Formats: sequence, C-alpha cells, structure tokens
Amino acid sequence: MKTPFRLDEHPRRPQPLAPPPDGYFDRLPMQIMKRVEPGSAASSWAGLRWLSALSAPVRTALAAGVVLSGFVGSFLLSENSSTTTTHLAAVPRTEMVEYLLASEQPVTLTDLAELPVTEQALPETPLQVSPDELQEVLDTQPVEDIYL
Amino acid sequence: MEDQDILAKFADPAARNVAFNQLVRKYQTKVYWHIRKMVVDHDDADDLTQDVFVKVWKHLESFRQDASLYTWIYRIATNECLSFLASKRRKFFLPLNDVGAELAAKIEADPSLAGDDIELRLQKAILKLPDKQRLVFNLRYYDEMPYEQMAEVTGTSVGALKASYHHAAKKIEQYINEQA
Repeated sequence: MKTPFRLDEHPRRPQPLAPPPDGYFDRLPMQIMKRVEPGSAASSWAGLRWLSALSAPVRTALAAGVVLSGFVGSFLLSENSSTTTTHLAAVPRTEMVEYLLASEQPVTLTDLAELPVTEQALPETPLQVSPDELQEVLDTQPVEDIYL
Repeated sequence: MEDQDILAKFADPAARNVAFNQLVRKYQTKVYWHIRKMVVDHDDADDLTQDVFVKVWKHLESFRQDASLYTWIYRIATNECLSFLASKRRKFFLPLNDVGAELAAKIEADPSLAGDDIELRLQKAILKLPDKQRLVFNLRYYDEMPYEQMAEVTGTSVGALKASYHHAAKKIEQYINEQA
C-alpha cells in the first residue's frame, strides 16, 4: 500500500519553477529605472494613463462613443453646408443686390462685366467694310458702354 | 542596506535614483518569485514585477512607515497579481477552470519539473486553489512569512489566515492522494 502524501514531509523547493533567463536580475533594475526616470518614453503617455485604469467594457464603450461621435459630427457638418446653399438660394435677388451695394467693398464695373456681343446674333453675311470705316465706327463708341 | 537608509536617501532628490536602484536590487528577487508563483509565466511575471516597482516609485514618498517597507511592497505585488488574474478571466471571458487549465499547461511545460512527478502534482494541486487561498499558501509554505506579516500584506486577520492555510494544505494533500 502506498504511503499517503503529507505536505510537511515533502521536501520543499523554495523556487518550484524554472529560473528566469540568465542575467535577468542584472538587467531588471535598469529596465525599471528607464520607466521611472522623468522624460522617458513611458511618461509621454502619462496623460492617457487614466485609460488603463478603466475596465475593458468601459474602454470599449468609450472607443465606440468616439467613433460614433465622429460619424454624427461629419454628418451634421455636411448637412450644414447643403442647408447654407439652400438658404442662399431663397434670398430674393433684389435683397442680394442691395446687400452687395451696401457692403464696404463697392461693386466695380469689372465685377458686373458681361459682354453683350456674345448675346447678339452674328450677321449672316460678312461685313463688307474697309479698315478705315471700321476704325471710324469703333472710335465713335464710348468705351464704358460696352461693359454696361 | 537597511530600509531606513534607503528611505532617507530617497527623500533627498539628488540621491533618489541611487536609493531606488538599491531598493529594487534588494527586493526584486523576492517580488519576482512571489509574482511568478501566482502567474506561472515568466513574461507575465516580468511585466508585473516592473509594474510593481513603478508603483513603489510613485508612492514611496507617501509611504507612512506604519508597516515595514518589505510588507508594503509585498502588498502592492499581491494586489497586482490578483488584479492581473481577475482581468485575465474578464478579458478572455474564461470560466475559473479554464484559466487554471492554462496555468496548469504552463506548469507541465516547465522544464524544472520534468521527471519529478510528485512535485508536478503538487504544483497542479496548488493551482486548484482559489487565487487568494493560493496566495496565502505561497506566502506561508514557500516564503515562510510569519502570520503577522501575512496579515499586513493581505489585510486579513491572523486567525483567518491560519484557517485558510490549514484548509489549503488539506485540499492539496487530498488532491495528490486522489491522483496517485
């Protein structure tokens, strides 16, 4: 019959598992000092340390909230830009002109320039005029009227 | 170097790093093995040992010396171990036995236990204990810590610790004898 196992009769191993790699306890103080010295890479994340104090479900919920906020934010921004366009289109033309004329920067002739030539129908037959006649007609035209 | 000398040196900003280095060198082996016996895996023990000493660095200034430095560091290490094991279970949604099975697999793969069947069974029996009881067993059986110091480390009464160790020893003997 086998002798039953008794804990107090069993030879005790102070360290029952395999020892750490050679030189581990020589390197460990240096590794720890690197982590605690000011200006170490670890301290640059000190502002986010509170995240590690949260439980995993809370961190997951927080991350999901951030992503969701991003979607909602981008949606609202795009909604605002199209709303602005719609609102501008609803402003009566006269009010817009009054606003432009009342603003500090006066509207110049250049701003309102529309070449009436483009709206006129071209004659079906080419003009039979000499260069001198053409020059004479052009000289009689007031220059500013062309742009109004 | 005595703890009091280390603490006095640590209070001087110019000598703080040197004092802390001496503190780490004095306690690193005990802290490492205390953690290693709880988490089994060397890499986990390495991470946790570093975390413990980083916490010691942060809070050493506010250490009130109503406990010894030794038991205070052990207390931090103990809390780190228990938190680590609890978060491991939460993180992987594993029931109690599965974390135990994972640790048992690491024990079986440990080269220092190869060929020593009784020691292997003893280590597996210890892993069957709940974390806190395993901690009490390790402190008493391996570290031979007096019950009064264990009470400081665990925040439990001496009577409760004696009862816990007695029950743990009985469970271990029963498990090994059933396996034989």
